[in-house]
Amino acid sequence: MKSEFAFIALPISALVAPSTFAVQYLTVDQAQRAIFPGKSLSATPVKLAAAQRKAIEQASGVRVLHDDQQVWRVSGGGWFIVDEVVGKHEFITYAVGLNANGSVKQIEVMDYRETYGGEIRNEKWRAQFAGKTTQSPLKLDKDIKNISGATLSCRHITDGVKRLLAFYEVALKRS
Amino acid sequence: MKINRQIEIRRCRPLLGTFVEVAVSGIKAASLERGINAAFAAIAKVHRLMSFHDPDSDVSRMNREAFPKSEIVHPWTWEVLETAQRLAQESKGVFDIATARFLASRGYLPRCGYQPDNAATWRDIFLRKNCRVFFRRQLVIDLGGIAKGFAVDRAVAALRASGIKAGIVNAGGDLRVFGPISRIIHVRHPAKPAFATGAVRLCERAMATSGVYFARRRHRGQYVSPLLDGCTGRSAWELISVSVAASECMLADALTKIVFALREQAAGLLRQYRADALILERNAAPSWRFNSSCDIPDRTQFD
Repeated sequence: MKSEFAFIALPISALVAPSTFAVQYLTVDQAQRAIFPGKSLSATPVKLAAAQRKAIEQASGVRVLHDDQQVWRVSGGGWFIVDEVVGKHEFITYAVGLNANGSVKQIEVMDYRETYGGEIRNEKWRAQFAGKTTQSPLKLDKDIKNISGATLSCRHITDGVKRLLAFYEVALKRS
Repeated sequence: MKINRQIEIRRCRPLLGTFVEVAVSGIKAASLERGINAAFAAIAKVHRLMSFHDPDSDVSRMNREAFPKSEIVHPWTWEVLETAQRLAQESKGVFDIATARFLASRGYLPRCGYQPDNAATWRDIFLRKNCRVFFRRQLVIDLGGIAKGFAVDRAVAALRASGIKAGIVNAGGDLRVFGPISRIIHVRHPAKPAFATGAVRLCERAMATSGVYFARRRHRGQYVSPLLDGCTGRSAWELISVSVAASECMLADALTKIVFALREQAAGLLRQYRADALILERNAAPSWRFNSSCDIPDRTQFD
């Protein structure tokens, strides 16, 4: 099989349809096994008090949008956290594994979904993702598997991880 | 006869300031997972060596110390610098890693604590024996895209070394396909990046796309972007995109920057590297296509 550098334009109909680019990489269970293979994890969800939220925002400089955080304690030390971030172009669910000392072990993107800014900031549109990480995986877009274009920054995840490290200090470290 | 079923594993991690995706196919899940981890480890290593933002990276050390002293860098950083300097020479300075001062003044990179020499260019960077680098003037380099391409090449090498036969590594649009399977790569619409506008089929080849659509912003009443012409210091602002396919991703990425500035005048350089190029205008119409690889262009059908 050879490379073909023939550019094939998509039909106009495909352009008009909101062909959002979406991939589910890992379910919660798969992400846990990818970051902490062979370990057993127990769910220990955390609900932040107003004072805790303020402390996290002050320490990280990043706004906390949800008081509920999905957290699992790892046998033998460490934490597994599922979090989500919303950017101008993207909506991402990702998992962070923390070592027993609170340092980042690994980050895995679980769900990646792109669309237009206006749509993504719409509460109703976002509501369809509520609870998706635990039960119902997103429907996958089978058409676009690989996409090339200008680089999309991952700054929102970087900020998200900064916020989770502050969350660890405030809510997990002494528990 | 027992038939082993092919499986594909796809993972994504935030690295190099973007989303890096590795997808591999094979028969045993465990060995695919090992390969993926090796690929991400190679990318993380390039990130550590060449990040502009990490004060301990080779790039930061060079920016601090290579003038007026000199600095020894990792052989990988050296390899990227060698390619960058070669392309700077061949493009007569259109490609120039020493233009990071413009990126800092336009808010794309943090400012450094010292005052870079405004006359400094790639000609003030000297690569000496044993990975030693010397700057003749106080300058700021950024390996941005070319390091991203290099990371993709290292990741593919790591996958191959782990015995993986086919896959794709995509670092925020800079990608490389390897193995006997060809893959369809969609290209973003230059003015509506959330949409794909068309596709090419690649096999054993790398492709990079440059555009300003995610990064363009207003600066002193004008649109600016991180895409610069090293000769003029001007940044691209038009909502067009340039895709280049080449044997290596590092080359493909660097060549997109050159085609962005030179357009059709880059044909000689593209031919020299047996690279292909595609320019998409604002309305996504291909305004220039250049084919120099020996592959026969063949139309691919889409549903």
